[in-house]
Amino acid sequence: MTTRPNSSSSTHSLHSSRGYHLQQKMAPYLFISPFLLLFAVFGVWPIVKSLVLSMYATSGPKDSVFVGTQNYRYLLADADFHTAVKNTVVFAFWSVVLQLPLALGLAMLLSRRWVRGRNLFRLAVFSPYLVGQVFVGVLFSVLFIPQYGLLNQGLHATVGLPLDTKWLADPALVMPALVLTALWLYTGLHMIYLLAALQAVERELYEAAQVDGANATQQFWAVTVPAIRPTLIYVLIMSTIGSFQLFELPYIMLNNTPGPNNSGLTIVMYLYQTGFVTGDLGYASAVGWTLALGVLLISLVQLRLTGAWKAREA
Amino acid sequence: MKPNRLTVFARGVTYVTLCLMAALTLTPLLWLLAAAFKGQNELFHYVFFPPPGLLTVVNFQELWEAMPFGRYMLNSVFVASTTVVVQLFFGSLAGFALAKYEFKGKRLFMVLMLATLMIPGQVTMAPLYELIYRLGLMDSFPGLIVPQAVSVFGIFLFRQYLLQVPDELMHAARIDGCSEFRIYWDIMMPISRPMVGAFCLTSFMATWNSFLWPQIILHHSGRFTLPVALNQLVGQYQQEYGTLMAGTLLSILPVLILFLLLQREFVEGLTAGAVKG
Amino acid sequence: MRSFRFPFGAAAGCILALAVLAGAWLAQHPIERQKSTLTLWTFAPTHYEAYKEAVPSFEKANPGVKVDLQLVSGPAVTSRLQAAFWSDLDVPDLVEVPIDFAGTFFRGRLENVGFADLTERIEQAGLMQRMVSSRFSPYMSRGRIFGLPHDVHPVMMAYRRDIFEKEGIDADSIKTWDDFIRVGRKLTVPGKRYMLELFDTRDAHLASCLFQRGGGYFTPEGECILDNEISVQTMLWYVPLVAGKDKISNNLGAGQVLTKAVEDGYFVCLLAPDWRTKTFETTIPRVAGKMALMPLPAVEPDGRRTSTWGGTMLGITKSSPDQDLAWKFALHLYLDQQELGERFRGTNIMPALRSAWDQPAFHEPRPYWNQQPIGAMFAKLAPQVPFQYTSPFITTAKAKLGEALVACVQYYNASGDKGFEAFTRARLKKSADELRTLIRRNPY
Repeated sequence: MTTRPNSSSSTHSLHSSRGYHLQQKMAPYLFISPFLLLFAVFGVWPIVKSLVLSMYATSGPKDSVFVGTQNYRYLLADADFHTAVKNTVVFAFWSVVLQLPLALGLAMLLSRRWVRGRNLFRLAVFSPYLVGQVFVGVLFSVLFIPQYGLLNQGLHATVGLPLDTKWLADPALVMPALVLTALWLYTGLHMIYLLAALQAVERELYEAAQVDGANATQQFWAVTVPAIRPTLIYVLIMSTIGSFQLFELPYIMLNNTPGPNNSGLTIVMYLYQTGFVTGDLGYASAVGWTLALGVLLISLVQLRLTGAWKAREA
Repeated sequence: MKPNRLTVFARGVTYVTLCLMAALTLTPLLWLLAAAFKGQNELFHYVFFPPPGLLTVVNFQELWEAMPFGRYMLNSVFVASTTVVVQLFFGSLAGFALAKYEFKGKRLFMVLMLATLMIPGQVTMAPLYELIYRLGLMDSFPGLIVPQAVSVFGIFLFRQYLLQVPDELMHAARIDGCSEFRIYWDIMMPISRPMVGAFCLTSFMATWNSFLWPQIILHHSGRFTLPVALNQLVGQYQQEYGTLMAGTLLSILPVLILFLLLQREFVEGLTAGAVKG
Repeated sequence: MRSFRFPFGAAAGCILALAVLAGAWLAQHPIERQKSTLTLWTFAPTHYEAYKEAVPSFEKANPGVKVDLQLVSGPAVTSRLQAAFWSDLDVPDLVEVPIDFAGTFFRGRLENVGFADLTERIEQAGLMQRMVSSRFSPYMSRGRIFGLPHDVHPVMMAYRRDIFEKEGIDADSIKTWDDFIRVGRKLTVPGKRYMLELFDTRDAHLASCLFQRGGGYFTPEGECILDNEISVQTMLWYVPLVAGKDKISNNLGAGQVLTKAVEDGYFVCLLAPDWRTKTFETTIPRVAGKMALMPLPAVEPDGRRTSTWGGTMLGITKSSPDQDLAWKFALHLYLDQQELGERFRGTNIMPALRSAWDQPAFHEPRPYWNQQPIGAMFAKLAPQVPFQYTSPFITTAKAKLGEALVACVQYYNASGDKGFEAFTRARLKKSADELRTLIRRNPY
C-alpha cells in the first residue's frame, strides 16, 4: 500500500499558489486515508457486524441460525456469565483499590527531591510490567505452587501460612492470587504516570501552601491531588478498563481453564470459551457487547464522580 | 541546610520502604532467573540459587529439543517489529493530520475513533475472525499484523503531542517550499522523538505479549509467536517447570533490552500525553 | 532536493531493522510445507513418539504416501482443530482428540460435524467385537461413531510399597473402599502424609468414582444425569475423603510438585490409569522399585475393581481428500499387534484391541513396579472398564460437576455431616438444571 502522497512534489509549490493550496487542502485526506481505510475495515465494520452476529446462534462461521434477542435474554439467566461478571467486577475493584494508592504512595516517596537512585528504584518497581501478562502468568503459576512454591515457602516462614495453601486450586484463593499478581504487575506502570505528574507540580504551589501553614495532609489534598488530577483520572479509567478485559493472566495461571468452580472465569475468558471453543460466535458477540456497555457505563460513572466530565475537553 | 533528626528519620523510613518494595518486586524475577538455571531435581530443593556447581543450562537444551524456540523468537520479533513500524507510520501520519489541519469530517472521525477506543477489542473478535477467514489471511502473519496496523491509541498520542507544536513552524516550512509530507517527515517527526520512543515501546510490548488473537488465528506450529508457543509447554498433567522458566526468561529479554535502550524517551513520552491531556 | 533522512530516531530505526532482518530470515527459512499425503495431529508426546516408529512401515507398504505427524499441545488441540474445521484451512486428515473434548465436536447438524462418520467402516471391520466395546461410546453422537478408540485406560491403585511394608499393611487385604479408607485413616498424618491423591476442585477423580459405580454425566441419549441417585451417593461418599477433619486425601498439583510429594511420601497412593503409570516412571524415577499396583478397591465386595480416567479417539476429518487411505493408516496405527506391543513398552497404554494384549510386551515384569507384569494386570481389568457417554455439552457438564464438588467440599468443611445430604442433593440438582437449560437452548 502506498501512502506517500504523490502531489507532494515540493518544487512547484512556491510557483503555483493554486497547486500549493490544493496540496494543502488534500494533504490531510491523503495522510489520513491509509489509516481510515484500515480503520473502517478492521475497526468499524467488525463492530457493526458483531451487533448483527449477536442475534445469531452459530456453530463456527459456517453454521448459523437467527435467534433474535435470545442471546441477550439467555445472558440474563446464564449462571456462568453471572459468575464471570462477578469475578471480573471483584477483580477490577480490588485491583484499582490496591494498585492506585500503592502506586501513588510509591510515586510520592520517589518524587522527593533528595531521593538518590530514583531511576533504579523506578526501574525495579516498573520492571514487572515489562514481563507481560502471559509470561507473568507462567511465572506466577509456578510461584503459587502449594508446598514447594516460593510464595508459600515465604509466607510459611514469615506469617506461618500452611505450606499446602492451594492458591490456584482453592476457589476462595484464586481471586486473591490474581489480584496479587496484577498488583505486582501493574503498580509500577501506574507509578510511572503518577511520578511524572508529581514531578511536574510546581514547587511554588507547595511553598505557598506552607506559607499558609498547611500541614502535609492538607498540602496533599489542597495541592497534590488537584495538580495531578488529570493523571489520576486517566490512570483510574485505564486500569479499570484494563481490569475488565482480564484474560491472559487467569487463563495461563489456571492451565487454560476457568479454574476451580469457575473462580477464575472472567468475561473475556467466557467470551473466548463460548466463541472460540464452543463455536457460538453469536453468543460471544452478545457477551462482548454486554462487556462494552458495562465498561462504558463504569467509565462514565467514574468521569462523573471525579468531576472530570466538563473539565476534560480533549 | 542541615537535616534535623526528624527528617533523617523520615528519610530512613523512605529508603527502607523503597528498598523493601523494590526487593518484593524483584524477588519473583530473581527466582525466575534462578529456576532457569537449576536442574530438574534442584528446582524445589533450593529456594533460589543452588551452589555454583549445580548451575546448569540443561533447561535451555531441553527447551530447544522440545520446540524450535529460535524460530518462535524470530516469529515474535518479526510480527512485533513489523506491527510497530506500520502502526508508527500510519498513526503518526494520521495524528499529524488531525492535529494540524482542518478538514471536513474531522469531528466525525474523532468521535468515531473515541467510540471505538471505548469498546473493548474483544467485542470485534468474532466478526474479525470471520473477516480474516474471508480474506484468506488465516494462519498467516498478515492475519496478525493487518488488523493491528492501526492503533487508535497511537493516533491520539501523536495528535496530543503535535498539538503543542506551534503552527509557525509549519508556515515557515511552507515558505521554504516544503511539501506537506516533507513537513511531516522532516519537521514533525524529529520533534516527536520522545513520543516515537514511547510509542515504539508500548506498541512493541503489546504485540510481543499478545496472546489471544495469535492463539485464535495461528494454526501451524511453525508460525507460533512466543506466548502461544510457551502456552504449549504448560501441560495439564506433566509440567517441566525448568524448561518453562527458561523459555519465559528468554521471552522477556528482548523487551527488557528494548526498554533499557529507550527508558528515558519512554517515560517522557508515555507520561506527556497523560499529564498534559 | 534534500537527502533522505529517517525521521523516527534510532529506536524506530532499530525496530525497522529488526523487522527486515527477521523477515529476511523467515523468508529464507520458510515453513516446510511437507508434500505429505496424510497429516495426523496428536496432543500426547508419548503418542507422537510412538507413531514416529510406526510411520516408516506404513510408508513402505504404501509407496508414494508421505505421513506428516504433528504434535499439538493438549489444551490447544481442540481449539486449533475447531478453528481448522471452521476455516477449512490446514485441517489434518487424522486427528487424535482427548475424550473430554470429543463431544464438543459433535455440536451442530450431523452433516456439519467435521469428522467423518466411521460407523460403517467399523462395522465392516468387525471392530466393535475386536475392540473393547465400552470405548466406542464416548465418541458417538446420535447413534453414529466418529472416532476409533486409542486405548482402554483401566484405573488401578498405585501405592508406595515400602511405606505399606513399613506400616505392616498387606495390599491384598484391601478389597473394598471401606478397607482402603480404614487403612487410610491409619496412615494419614494431616499436613504431612495423605493416603491418597484426590482432586477436590476438579471433577476427574470424582468422575472415575462415578464411572466405577455405573454413573456418569449423560445417558446414551445425551440427557444429563448429574443429579441421579448414583451421583448423589458418590458425592456423599467422595467429599468426606477430601474434606473435613477426617480427610485422607489431598492434592498439590502436577509435574515436579507431584514428583517431590511422592518422593517425600506425602502421598501413599495415587489413582493410576495405565497412561499415568508411564508418567510416574518418567517423572518420579527415584521411587523405582518402591512402587506397586493393586486393583482399585471395589465399592461393594466382589464389585468392579477398576474404573476409567482419560482416553483418546482417532478421527478422520471429512475434508480429508483420501478418507480410505486415512482409514488404512488409522488401522495400521491401532491394529498392528506387533507395533502395539512395542508401543506398550513406551507408553504403558492399553490399546483397545483385545488380541494385542497377548503380545509378550504385556507380560513383562516391570522393575519400576516391583517386577509386576503391569500389562497383564491391566488386561485383566480392561474388560470391566465402565461405559461412559458424551454430549456436545461434555465440557460444561464437567465444569458443572466440578462446581458442585467445590460447593459440597466447602459446605462439608464448614458444617460437616449436618444437613450435608440435603445440601448435596440440592447442589447437584442445581448443576444439572443449569446444564439442562443450556442443552435446551441448543437450536440444533
